[in-house]
Amino acid sequence: MLVRFRLNGRDIELDVPSNETLIDTLRLRLKVKSVKRGCERGECGSCTILLDGRPVTSCMLLTPQVNGRDVVTVEGLEGDPLFNQLVKSFIDNGAVQCGFCTPGILLTAWAAIRENRFRSMDDVARYLGNLCRCTGYIKIAKAVWNVASGVRK
Amino acid sequence: MYSFIGKRSIRKDALPKTSGTIKFVNDLEAPGMLIGRILRSPYAFADIRRIDASEAERLGVVVLTPDDIPQKPFNPRLVSIHEVTYKDTYVLTKKPRYVGDAIAAVAAPSEELAQRAIESIRIEYERIYEPILDPFKAMEPGAPLIHERIMKGSEWVNVERNMAATLNYVEGDVDKAFRESDIVIERRFKTGKRYHMQLEPKSVLCIPEPGGKLTIYATTQTIHNTRILVSQIFDIPLSKVNVVKVPIGGSFGSSIQVNYLVPIAVALCLKSGKPVKISYTREEDILDHSNFVFHFRMKIGARRDGVLMGAEFENILDVGAHQVQPYPLLGTSLGWFVSMYKWRNIRYISKAVYTNKVPACALRGYGAPEVQWAVETMMDELAEELKIDPIELRLKNYVGRGEIFWGQGPTVKSVIKSDGVPELLEKGRKLIGWEKRSHPSRKKGRYRRGIGLARGFHTSGAGGPISGEVIDYTGCILKLNEDGTLDYITALQDHGGGTLDAHVKIISEVLGVPPELVNLATASTENTPYDVCTHASRGTYAGGEAARRAAEIVRSKIFEYAARIVGRVVNPEAFKIKYDEELKQAIVYVEGTDIKIPLSEIARIAWQKNWGTIGAFVSYRATSAPPSFTVYFVEVEVDTWTGKVRPIRVIAGADVGTLVNPDMVEGQLHGGFAMAWGMTFTENTVYEENGELAGRGLITDYKIPTITDMPTPEDFIVITADTYEPTGPFGAKGLGEAAMNPAVGAIANAIYNAIGVRFYELPITPDKIVKALRERGEIP
Repeated sequence: MLVRFRLNGRDIELDVPSNETLIDTLRLRLKVKSVKRGCERGECGSCTILLDGRPVTSCMLLTPQVNGRDVVTVEGLEGDPLFNQLVKSFIDNGAVQCGFCTPGILLTAWAAIRENRFRSMDDVARYLGNLCRCTGYIKIAKAVWNVASGVRK
Repeated sequence: MYSFIGKRSIRKDALPKTSGTIKFVNDLEAPGMLIGRILRSPYAFADIRRIDASEAERLGVVVLTPDDIPQKPFNPRLVSIHEVTYKDTYVLTKKPRYVGDAIAAVAAPSEELAQRAIESIRIEYERIYEPILDPFKAMEPGAPLIHERIMKGSEWVNVERNMAATLNYVEGDVDKAFRESDIVIERRFKTGKRYHMQLEPKSVLCIPEPGGKLTIYATTQTIHNTRILVSQIFDIPLSKVNVVKVPIGGSFGSSIQVNYLVPIAVALCLKSGKPVKISYTREEDILDHSNFVFHFRMKIGARRDGVLMGAEFENILDVGAHQVQPYPLLGTSLGWFVSMYKWRNIRYISKAVYTNKVPACALRGYGAPEVQWAVETMMDELAEELKIDPIELRLKNYVGRGEIFWGQGPTVKSVIKSDGVPELLEKGRKLIGWEKRSHPSRKKGRYRRGIGLARGFHTSGAGGPISGEVIDYTGCILKLNEDGTLDYITALQDHGGGTLDAHVKIISEVLGVPPELVNLATASTENTPYDVCTHASRGTYAGGEAARRAAEIVRSKIFEYAARIVGRVVNPEAFKIKYDEELKQAIVYVEGTDIKIPLSEIARIAWQKNWGTIGAFVSYRATSAPPSFTVYFVEVEVDTWTGKVRPIRVIAGADVGTLVNPDMVEGQLHGGFAMAWGMTFTENTVYEENGELAGRGLITDYKIPTITDMPTPEDFIVITADTYEPTGPFGAKGLGEAAMNPAVGAIANAIYNAIGVRFYELPITPDKIVKALRERGEIP
């Protein structure tokens, strides 16, 4: 079926089977490989995208569901000041290890900071549901909180 | 003072990772590639009479059945020498031995068509057996044999009572030691069957090249062993198989072996003549490998003054349906045990036993987290019985500097030369407030806090002065480019811990070339010297030393060229090289003179004057496998009503010699603790009676720690010891596994200190805690 949506500021029009998942459309048709296939059950968060500005797992969406909506991946945040700040904080704090979960976590954190959800370190721990197996989350929490607390100031 | 080592720096792959531009295997595509899917056994133990794939063939897909496969057994992990490599696995099987064993495979232009074809294949079973899920039942006389005949080296051997491999060891007289002990404690322990849950599911892409050559991109910790195994199974010369190193999305041992999908993709590629890619779903990844289940019986004896007298250790390993090198694990389990404390007399009995479960492979620590949990639990019990401070008891008995350390089992021995244990215990004791720790009997109320301690270690690699049963050597190539930058090529993998950034820093330190000018070059088997595998926490230690040696060779050649340029310097050894802060590059100079040439100038002149490229090719075997000691002090809070435990404070101490990357040292300890937390409380794959994974094996039922389970950054303190390992590059040792190993023991001891109950079976789920407290009448 015909689906139209915005991807990273670009208008997309595609004819896809009605049962195609958004992750497959992004990865296989549109070659957006920053969206990682980690579990395909909405558990790990590696395939997180922003749908109308909110983080969701693209493996749990059918592509027709995003018809008329706005989809953003890390590619679409290139040059965004808050995103750049987050990336810098991740790198400076050593919050990047294998990198498989990183784009998804950056998107989740970016959206949460924009919506002012991180009022304390505890909020970071409550909201960041993405799985990471390398870092034990400590440096990620620190990197996110550094930016969130700075933005709040 | 170092210019680069020990400094916080930005890892080279940071930006490609944050921008998502780094490509993992599943992100790769080849023109005209087919997608492979695998038909897996729904039964845990069965004989197949007939495979009917006629419908799949009508769909026009490439079909692979056991009849297409070389009938040569293999062991997917090559680390032991040939004579002690046990082989029981075929690319596809007509006798599935666990739910998930690969029976057939197809390749089609789309994943959907491939899946339709897989679902159209009909299997007729000759016989379906009752699965054997318990290793003790598997060893009972008359139990059906999961494998009847396997290969050990080049010999066929009959399997007896489902024992895949055995190893026994005796030193001294244990019975006499127990008689002479004032106290003897005996305990049984059992661990869960954990799954690695590395974030990247395993993938492979195999591309046929002109002249019968294959190029393979695989999720792997070892490109060279992947190449060798493919060569052995399919009888292709090594020179016609090239395995390319691709970034890996976490590993923790999950790709220490050649994953089963690799030979399947190769076979599909050979049959179709087209590129074939296979990517596991998460559930398939769980069916590919999980960890061993350890059943321990430990008995230890000590004198009243705390001197250990002897120990008996029985180790029954549940290896699942196929061997992925359990034999060396029998050896390392003993090695971990022996190297913890001076037992003085030892008796070790171990058996690796087949069951109809997912094949078990290494998982971060290769038995050390399990052994150290058990030993540290018993040491805590012993300290309490003897009324000796647990720290004092450990200091009195631990294996430290000057003593023999069994790096990785009985054939990998070396002498300990750096030891930060006393320093870490002392620092940790103060930070956690050890003296304020009270007895569990004094704790009341719903929420109870406890402090626990455990210590341990891991080896840095499996090297040693003598060539034993384990293969361990590495190598690299380093060359100076025409502009003074460097290309560094190694087969070693970076699992995420920053290993290769450590190599770069080591090279930078020797040559003064800043890390941003050292290129981590694309590597494959055909342009790198052999490296056994990025495992055993050997990346920084062994690989880093190879890099250091290569840099030294390059440096001496640079000095020869410098001497040609500056005629008046008699001996090239008079030159020195360092990083020049102002020029932002390396300069070659002679102390006390005005002689000073930028390295870029030397490289340019050498090029323009046809002097040739400066480079080094190093193949290096470490002559030691030094322990990286780690110490954990953990404070937890137990909710006695719900059985839920949360971490309050963590002091993670590491003796890794010189710190090459302080950020990464911390990162390993954070991640190691998180993995230990999961191992202690949640992680286990549970089997139904029919051999299926409970809940159909969905990832949604396998809970690893989330950010909520961790302490806050302020409550997680990392401390390091001021040590120097003389055999390591600039004094460095490994860390990846040591970072985790003793943490489970510390958490378990903290639980005891909170509620006065010890648990001998992992995971310690909330219901176990509540049940134990209820039985003791502590809660209604």
